[in-house]
Amino acid sequence: MIINHPHWSSDLTIPRSVYVHVPFCRHRCGYCNFTLVANRDEWVEGYLNAIEKEISAVNVGMPAPQEVDTVFLGGGTPSHLSADQLERLIYILTNKFLFASEIEFSIEANPNDITAEKVELLSSLGVNRFSLGVQSFNSKKLQTLERDHDAQVVRDAIDTIRKRVADISIDLIIGSPGETLESWQNDLDDVLSINPTHISTYSLTIEKGTQFWNRWNRGDLNEVSEDSAADYYETGIDFLTNNGFDHYEVSNFSRYGFRCRHNENYWLGKSYYGFGPGAASYIDGMRGMNHRSTSRYLQLVQSGQSPTVESELVDAEASAREKLIFGLRRIQGIDVNAYREETGYTVFELAEKDMNRLLVQKLLELEDQTLRLTRSGLLVSDSIWPLFL
Amino acid sequence: MKQIRNFCIIAHIDHGKSTLADRLIQVCGGVSLRDLHDQMLDSMDIERERGITIKSNTISLDYKAKNGNDYLLNLIDTPGHVDFSHEVRRSLMACEGALIIVDASQGVEAQTVANLYLALEHDLELLPVINKIDLPSADVERAREAIDAELGLDPLEAIPVSAKAGIGIEEVLEGIVERLPSPTGDPDAPLKALIFDAHFDKYRGVILQCRVMEGTLRPKDTIHFMHANRDFTVDELGYNQFKLVPKTQLQAGEVGYIVAGVKSVQDIEIGDTITLLDRPADEPIPGYQEAKQVVFSSIYPMSTDQYVDLTKALDKLAINDAALTYEKDSSAALGFGFRCGFLGLLHLDVVQERIQREFDIGLVISAPSVKYILELTDGSTVEVDNPSYWPEPMTIQSASEPYIKASILTPESYVGPVMELCREHRSESQTMNYLSAGRIEVISEMPLGEVLFDFYGKLKMITRGYGSFDYEPIEYRKTDVVKVDILVNKEPVDTLSYLVHREKARTRALHYCERLAKEIPRHQFKIPIQGVIGGNVIARTTIAPFRKDVTEKLYGGDVTRKKKLLEKQKKGKAKMKQFGSVNIPQKAFVSVLRADND
Ligand SMILES: Nc1nc2c(ncn2[C@@H]2O[C@H](COP(=O)(O)OP(=O)(O)OP(=O)(O)O)[C@@H](O)[C@H]2O)c(=O)[nH]1
Ligand code: SF4
Ligand SMILES: [Mg+2]
Repeated sequence: MIINHPHWSSDLTIPRSVYVHVPFCRHRCGYCNFTLVANRDEWVEGYLNAIEKEISAVNVGMPAPQEVDTVFLGGGTPSHLSADQLERLIYILTNKFLFASEIEFSIEANPNDITAEKVELLSSLGVNRFSLGVQSFNSKKLQTLERDHDAQVVRDAIDTIRKRVADISIDLIIGSPGETLESWQNDLDDVLSINPTHISTYSLTIEKGTQFWNRWNRGDLNEVSEDSAADYYETGIDFLTNNGFDHYEVSNFSRYGFRCRHNENYWLGKSYYGFGPGAASYIDGMRGMNHRSTSRYLQLVQSGQSPTVESELVDAEASAREKLIFGLRRIQGIDVNAYREETGYTVFELAEKDMNRLLVQKLLELEDQTLRLTRSGLLVSDSIWPLFL
Repeated sequence: MKQIRNFCIIAHIDHGKSTLADRLIQVCGGVSLRDLHDQMLDSMDIERERGITIKSNTISLDYKAKNGNDYLLNLIDTPGHVDFSHEVRRSLMACEGALIIVDASQGVEAQTVANLYLALEHDLELLPVINKIDLPSADVERAREAIDAELGLDPLEAIPVSAKAGIGIEEVLEGIVERLPSPTGDPDAPLKALIFDAHFDKYRGVILQCRVMEGTLRPKDTIHFMHANRDFTVDELGYNQFKLVPKTQLQAGEVGYIVAGVKSVQDIEIGDTITLLDRPADEPIPGYQEAKQVVFSSIYPMSTDQYVDLTKALDKLAINDAALTYEKDSSAALGFGFRCGFLGLLHLDVVQERIQREFDIGLVISAPSVKYILELTDGSTVEVDNPSYWPEPMTIQSASEPYIKASILTPESYVGPVMELCREHRSESQTMNYLSAGRIEVISEMPLGEVLFDFYGKLKMITRGYGSFDYEPIEYRKTDVVKVDILVNKEPVDTLSYLVHREKARTRALHYCERLAKEIPRHQFKIPIQGVIGGNVIARTTIAPFRKDVTEKLYGGDVTRKKKLLEKQKKGKAKMKQFGSVNIPQKAFVSVLRADND
């Protein structure tokens, strides 16, 4: 029986995480459908003005500055900005927000953009985590993916960063066209030899609106089979966990103590600010999404309108369901008691009869009051989520 | 008084009956040019869409003949499909003559012959018409030969026409008045009128179509249905001339409508004889036959909360379809539904489609079955058409199933394969008749249940479209039937169970398993699909689980997008029915019933 459900979600706290979307890249990669503009550096100044305006509109009337625990500059390619531009961007943030002493401050970077000066500057401004878009160490694979660096550039970039910042995450793409188990294993060996604190692996998906989609539609591009994709994904998980990485979310691995707290915040259903085109925010139970077009975003903000074009109020039950779905994507699973305390619902009442079936089928397991995906459940997890909605 | 001709148009499917009726109507001015459209008389949406006639239709036309006389032509357009041959039979009983149409490019086909025999049985005068002479492939001389050799009619009397292009229509009208007899009958005798059709009108209730054989009928008369033993008072009667034209009487020889406070066609029996309550006829018109349901199937609403809607839909359809029977049924998997009786597969198809289309109710249909007669070990006899009520095999002493006499017309070159096909479908005997040069009629006695599944499609295939087929039921014969259950993920899906001859059990089960494996989407786990008799597995397939279905990138901005996607997926699931932990889409239930490999 359900008694005393709170009517609104309990996350009415002021967000302690900030995301800023920096929509600039040198070139749009063939597989990429993110919000960004390529080769439009002349827009950066206008963009920084808009960000400043958007951020200053937050919580007017509250005693500034507001303390935050995580900041994430994502993109696009934030490192594509010049040192001056980056400096200004971070000043805009520090004007509004006070960085907690234990702050996790991440920036996404292209290995090609890494210079000793930039790293120096960024770390002096508080950046303490670099997320490098490496994708692969194999030149052929990098070419297919239209990335403009090679393995040596990556190694040099890492050496440069390490002089100032220890926490480095590396993104790898699994299953680019032509990938074999061998080529993937080579990437895994290479990433291990670099020994970053954090690794994210993503299987390539061919998204509508990308170059790859068009080529695939014409038959010029071969996708790896579902079976191979599954093999590679599992190989990655086994290899990295056997080598001391903690597989803590579907696509994320870390050395002990180096999980990405910013992203964990999303998966736990906590609130966050989001600024920039296409950025999402979750404040006071309200999910908002900024306009995805960079030019529209700039126009809206310049003309004094809100760039948030979609918003949705998430009620207590919806929030509980989200926490179940996104929480289970964390490999450690959900502590069912803590879940009930927090949401007012039990995981069982939300999933009704399906929960038992999923347990019997060993797609989920319940151990010591913790509900988590099994390996086979993890692999097909997208087919489980609709049951919880 | 005007002279009368009562006639119907009979032919094989698609030879152009309804199109010829259009032209006759047009020439007689029964309808203004503005209101003209193709197959005027096919009034149901489904008839229009599929281009087939399902119900007979009656219309009265005024015609001034070349001899200067005025005629009232009562035309009945009949359906060509074998399922509806009872409609043809009744229509024939209301007439003195018939136009028998032969398609100039197809020649004589199975229902041409079957309908010819029916017409001869009722002593009708026949006027052959060769239609579609406008087609490049038309061969009028061959059609004449076939009329001579295969129908035994005078080939020189046949009138070549193109119903589509409007060629030869005057000749047909003249032929009708010249060569078809006028009705006879004594207007002063006790009333004897044949109810040959009825349909439901939402404002007026049931409108009966009748042919007065003897006597005279007037408004306010109390009529007595001689078979159904029910009485009604006539409110109105008259002619069908696209609208109802009231008259003061209908007398011997005339065809017309009656409105008599009948609420549903199920209240009466079509083919029944009516007489006057206060001055009854001695005996009804001979030749009355009830429409016989030969195919039975259960229908369930996709979502159980539509059961009430389904009940209403069936009640509504039945008001206008006297041949449809239905009673409550229930399934462990699907809840409440109905066990329905149909005249054949086309009838089933039509009813199901109308329910889905006109009432917007998604249906799950169980495998159609014939009615078996079982003698049990305790000496009793039971009739079973529903696998759910199949008794324990131990208790069955013997079983028998309905047999038909099938008549298959085919070019001589395909006789071998046709015979082979019949044998594959457990035909017990095949004989051949030479009809004319190169044309053979194969007569085969075989179980009705065998033609329900994949017979017709295969016949069309092996004869390259030239074979045609007609049948009539003959008798029950001993058989060896078993019940096959289909298990999906080890659980029986009761609506998929079927009754079949032991020899056919395995092939059919394999077909079911393969079809289901194709239609059921992959799940997170392996799904075995098995056909079993008792505890024995006779066929199996498996649906492999999907291996990888996981969104790898999911951060702040993706949450909203992902949720929308999940909600969409969830809606897709609602179109499926859940059995245990397996979702079976509605189309899987339909697809197992189809034999064709596509
Ligand atoms: N070329 C040509 N086509 C015709 C002619 N008469 C009918 N058709 C076509 O043949 C098809 C069947 O015609 P219908 O009049 O519906 O045939 P039917 O005999 O009433 O068919 P059922 O009622 O289903 O038995 C339609 O596509 C007509 O357009 C004709 O004289 N010439
Ligand atoms: S660098 Fe990253 S964000 Fe920019 S286009 Fe390439 S994949 Fe997309
Ligand atoms: Mg017709």
